[in-house]
Amino acid sequence: MEHIRTTKVEQVKLLDRFSTNNKSLTGTLYLTATHLLFIDSHQKETWILHHHIASVEKLALTTSGCPLVIQCKNFRIVHFIVPRERDCHDIYNSLLQLSKQAKYEDLYAFSYNPKQNDSERLQGWQLIDLAEEYKRMGVPNSNWQLSDANREYKICETYPRELYVPRIASKPIIVGSSKFRSKGRFPVLSYYHQDKEAAICRCSQPLSGFSARCLEDEHLLQAISKANPVNRYMYVMDTRPKHRMQSWWDTQKDIGRIIVRISSKIWSDERITESDEKKRLNAMANRAAGKGYENEDNYSNIRFQFVGIENIHVMRSSLQKLLEVNGTKGLSVNDFYSGLESSGWLRHIKAVMDAAIFLAKAIMVENASVLVHCSDGWDRTSQVCSLGSLLLDSYYRTVKGFMVLIEKDWIAFGHKFSERCGHLDGDPKEVSPVFTQFLECVWHLTEQFPQAFEFNEAFLLQIHEHIHSCQFGNFLGNCQKEREELKLKEKTYSLWPFLLDDLKKYLNPIYNSQSQRFTVLEPSTVSFNFKFWRNMYHQFDRTLHPRQSVFNIIMNMNEQNKQLEKDIKELESKIKQCKNKQTDDILTKELLHSIHPESPTLKSSLCFKEQTLLPVNDALRTIEGSNPTDNRYSDYAEEFSKAEPAVVSLEYGVARMTC
Amino acid sequence: MFSLKPPRPTFRSYLLPPPQTDDQISAEPKIKKLEPVLLPGEIVVNEVNFVRKCIATDTSQYDLWGKLICSNFKISFITDDPMPLQKFHYRNLLLGEHDVPLTCIEQIVTVNDHKRKQKVLGPNQKLKFNPTELIIYCKDFRIVRFRFDESGPESAKKVCLAIAHYSQPTDLQLLFAFEYVGKKYHNSASNMNGVPCESGGGGVSGPGAGSSQKTPLFETYSDWDREVKRTGASGWRVCSVNEGYMVSTCLPEYFVVPSSLADQDLKIFSHSFVGRRIPLWCWSHSNGSALVRMALIKDVLQQRKIDQRICNAITKSHPQRSDVYKSDLDKTLPNIQEIQAAFVKLKQLCVNEPFEETEEKWLSSLESTRWLEYVRAFLKHSAELVYMLESKHLSVVLQEEEGRDLSCSVASLVQVMLDPYFRTITGFQSLIQKEWVMSGYQFLDRCNHLKRSEKESPLFLLFLDATWQLLEQYPAAFEFSETYLAVLYDSTRISLFGTFLFNSPHQRVKQSTKSYSSTLRAVPSSFRNGVLSDPELLPRRNSLVLKPKPDPQQQADGRGGDAEQYFRDWFSRPCDLHGVILPRLSAAHIKLWKLCYFRWVPEAQISLGGFITAFRKLSLLADEVDALSRTLRQQRGGALDAGCAEPAQSRMYFRAGGPQAHAAGTPEFLSSSFPFSPVGNLCRRSILGTPLSKFLSGAKIWLSTETLANED
Repeated sequence: MEHIRTTKVEQVKLLDRFSTNNKSLTGTLYLTATHLLFIDSHQKETWILHHHIASVEKLALTTSGCPLVIQCKNFRIVHFIVPRERDCHDIYNSLLQLSKQAKYEDLYAFSYNPKQNDSERLQGWQLIDLAEEYKRMGVPNSNWQLSDANREYKICETYPRELYVPRIASKPIIVGSSKFRSKGRFPVLSYYHQDKEAAICRCSQPLSGFSARCLEDEHLLQAISKANPVNRYMYVMDTRPKHRMQSWWDTQKDIGRIIVRISSKIWSDERITESDEKKRLNAMANRAAGKGYENEDNYSNIRFQFVGIENIHVMRSSLQKLLEVNGTKGLSVNDFYSGLESSGWLRHIKAVMDAAIFLAKAIMVENASVLVHCSDGWDRTSQVCSLGSLLLDSYYRTVKGFMVLIEKDWIAFGHKFSERCGHLDGDPKEVSPVFTQFLECVWHLTEQFPQAFEFNEAFLLQIHEHIHSCQFGNFLGNCQKEREELKLKEKTYSLWPFLLDDLKKYLNPIYNSQSQRFTVLEPSTVSFNFKFWRNMYHQFDRTLHPRQSVFNIIMNMNEQNKQLEKDIKELESKIKQCKNKQTDDILTKELLHSIHPESPTLKSSLCFKEQTLLPVNDALRTIEGSNPTDNRYSDYAEEFSKAEPAVVSLEYGVARMTC
Repeated sequence: MFSLKPPRPTFRSYLLPPPQTDDQISAEPKIKKLEPVLLPGEIVVNEVNFVRKCIATDTSQYDLWGKLICSNFKISFITDDPMPLQKFHYRNLLLGEHDVPLTCIEQIVTVNDHKRKQKVLGPNQKLKFNPTELIIYCKDFRIVRFRFDESGPESAKKVCLAIAHYSQPTDLQLLFAFEYVGKKYHNSASNMNGVPCESGGGGVSGPGAGSSQKTPLFETYSDWDREVKRTGASGWRVCSVNEGYMVSTCLPEYFVVPSSLADQDLKIFSHSFVGRRIPLWCWSHSNGSALVRMALIKDVLQQRKIDQRICNAITKSHPQRSDVYKSDLDKTLPNIQEIQAAFVKLKQLCVNEPFEETEEKWLSSLESTRWLEYVRAFLKHSAELVYMLESKHLSVVLQEEEGRDLSCSVASLVQVMLDPYFRTITGFQSLIQKEWVMSGYQFLDRCNHLKRSEKESPLFLLFLDATWQLLEQYPAAFEFSETYLAVLYDSTRISLFGTFLFNSPHQRVKQSTKSYSSTLRAVPSSFRNGVLSDPELLPRRNSLVLKPKPDPQQQADGRGGDAEQYFRDWFSRPCDLHGVILPRLSAAHIKLWKLCYFRWVPEAQISLGGFITAFRKLSLLADEVDALSRTLRQQRGGALDAGCAEPAQSRMYFRAGGPQAHAAGTPEFLSSSFPFSPVGNLCRRSILGTPLSKFLSGAKIWLSTETLANED
């Protein structure tokens, strides 16, 4: 590979960033086509996938060597000291090249080979079937139908082919509405609540322009509200913050003083009364802006609701601040919490959660359908729709259901994974942790409702790992059309079957599966119920992990329980046998003695010993991003033995390196 | 008893309440006789009928009608109305749902709507208006509010004054504990407060008193002697020089000193120490290092000499003749005033300030209280002393001016970290008895039972909070649960327990001509920790035999290695729950103890959620494992011999197949504040979620009494 100049550097030091006295491990650094590998003197391996590298930094030369700091998208930060500056420079340059690929075809997924044949691969891709999912929700039905309008991606390139719309919405209405909406993303069904017959729909912002009105769009919204037989009004949820809109209003001052005067009056009221002034205001404002917000006068039976989720740029810089706070400095001082607060991260998480709660309440309490949009309808809209569905429908809280949810609201509806995760060397301003926020919201829910989810934290972390790893095809590309063009289903593998293969370690041991399908979660969003997600942002900083977790204990107890039940059955059957044979006491005793080593007391003591020994397994915890079986939760005892780290990739890398 | 003018009769007081107003569910008050549930020795001082207890701030539709009484122990609201919106209530054995013990009252505010007056009621104060409303701020962060719209104004006033008078007694002897005296023991198994004693929940002699071990109280020679033997402290002896409190009134009668110091020397030295507090032995490590607490030597001339003598004696008592490490707590830790200030701020944050306002600033406000910082400081310092004892093999001397405040916390924390015995319920209680009660922690002043606020400081809570942090980090290392810690904190607010009533053991003996002492000893199963590994596995130290640990790592540590090294090594090793546990100390690891501080705040509640749901499942599993093991043993026993008698009682509160364990799903009553229920606590928002600022002004009164203009 042309980018690799040095494949091996010896005597490299790896620093622990949370250790104060600069204790380091010495080892050898290898550079392969896909990974950076560090093997320390204890033969412990640290694998870093090139695609995970967010930034590489070469610091000023020190007496011990040249420091190289690598920050990863999965929040791992490694600090190497390379003895010779030349080597350091070579690695630095290579990593810069390798971590930013220009073409999709150079991504790991296209070379990753888990040794499956084509039919297995296809089966993997067919695991999640969205048509099946809509059927589960109860559509099509008398009010909703499958539309073929976008079958050839003619109306909207970033939507999937199959879209569900109200039965009374004709094709001209759809086409007309799509022209009125940004990027052609007209209102379509995202989730249908069978019990309440209410729907969650999604779209992008309207392009009001000079033709401030679009009758087709108005009709489509009418159709959506009519598709709900119970409630005649619907909500339109604009997920963007009001103050941004307010400032947008303020820029319209030139249009006329009247706007300034009445705007405050308007925004202080949720439901706006009709007034001539306001009509003029809306018309003028929309004309000036070209796009923005629905003119409320033109839509009847609609309640507009703003929820304040900030845009991708605010989120990106907030995460940046968060990472500074939880870095070496932030944690050692007492102002960690105010740092956490000033990063604003938890506030943003709360905003997303509040929006989802509003959505769920509108459907559960008021029985109203809701149309959600932001600007383009693929970031905040995806967050709110998916999280809202998760609160409403317990199916999405299962492992399979969660996969379906991600496929539906994120992948199919065109969340721009490649741009937001920076898979390719592109515009850094397009990168934003939108999906990470969604996962964090789900994590907060799992914390508030420990029994409600079939999966555990490791599952969320593993998914997060793979949105950046580019190892599987699921998250490549920015929309379905692009994915089809890339022929991902033929050239790459799907992540989901690999996660299911390892299901055991992603299961929540205290999941309560008996709850009703429509058990709604009602999380508390008082600010102190939001906390820092240590296992996400410090997942590789072993020294900061808790020594003991209740979940591990429960896992062990579950195992212990099963074993004891088995023992009892065994004993009972043996006693029966003995009695049948009318054998004497001595034999019984002998038999029982043979079982004795498995006595419960012994086992219970073993159970806790095992647990205390767990960190030893840490040594096995090596690669990430190379294999879905990689497990940062190796704490779950031996039975989840570590699968071989992707030997394939290493061989492959070496093979390619030599040519 | 009161300095009250005879009440002027007004015709209003004889008016019957008007029938049925529209927004009240049960506006017609119950005419039925409402009888208070009283403890033995408790008497009703005053009462008023037709009182409305407010449940929400902005609506009266949930309000309850009933009778408000003030007894010499508590204020009690007696009603026939069921509590609205409440799914579960933890039934206290001593207190009813609407009861507040007088010692738990922080401030009493009376309000007259019509005259727009309000007044903070102190003891023996006059009240020149008839109150229409009474707001009581409790020390445990609750706020209760009563309305007297329909009650007789004079009797309402009398009750308010009675509460003010009785909740702020001038003398220790006026506390209810002295009335209560002894009676409980005669009928400990019978009904208490109308609630049958659950086994294990009642008195000491309760039938299924859990571990059935009795907590050593360290009042006797033998308790100390046993502790010396248990820890294998060979160079130490129990000394009875203070019998009859002849030497010091703030030391226990018996305590442990280096064997090389004679009683005569101790007596002489004692004059040089503040409070005549001779250095006290707390605990010995199996390597022989001892933990000792010592007051300041006030005699400057003698200072060096005595200090030298004491240190030499401690060194001599060390099997390896190791040096003494001195830790000056006054210099390294926040003082009691700072801790009190932090606590007051924390209380404001958790209770007073509307969450809508603090929403954005929550984390930084929390930080600016400095409470977590202080908790962390205590844990950090204690962990460093653990390093000295465990790794450097040095004896540690805790120095503090009086040696009876910060030392209590630090000495206890060090022992909780080092000795698994103190992580059992019996052990933890004996630790509190040893390091707090007997060592002269001034519960009376620090808990401010007599309302002389300048000495108040929540050091004991700080210790419980720090213990909670350890429990949070090592859930399986403790026999008790966080509920236990919270209830333990609550019991410092109930003037029934002699344990937390006095400034010193001497005062307790002096004050109690009657046999007062009812300590909190037995523990209901709900406090038990389902996570703890089998108690049988706790290693019992071999008395008097010093076993050097065969851990090679340990020896490597001894060679040099600094504290940093020690901590890192410790954290890189697998954790032995029956050995030393050390806290993680980074800022992100020190958390707010939500169950304790937020249990009365309705907004903070997550219904059907919270850690308790996981805990319940865990308890069920633990119980199942227990039951299965038992069956297994019986199978074997049945074949071999008669089979051993098994305890019928489960260790767990949530039992597999028990009444609380619904077959499917999470029981309805579980919420993040379980077993406490915040319903009925006056909050800033009603349950329906509309903010109301009306009572914020009332809440602010709490912050500073001075800001209130006196009536007239």
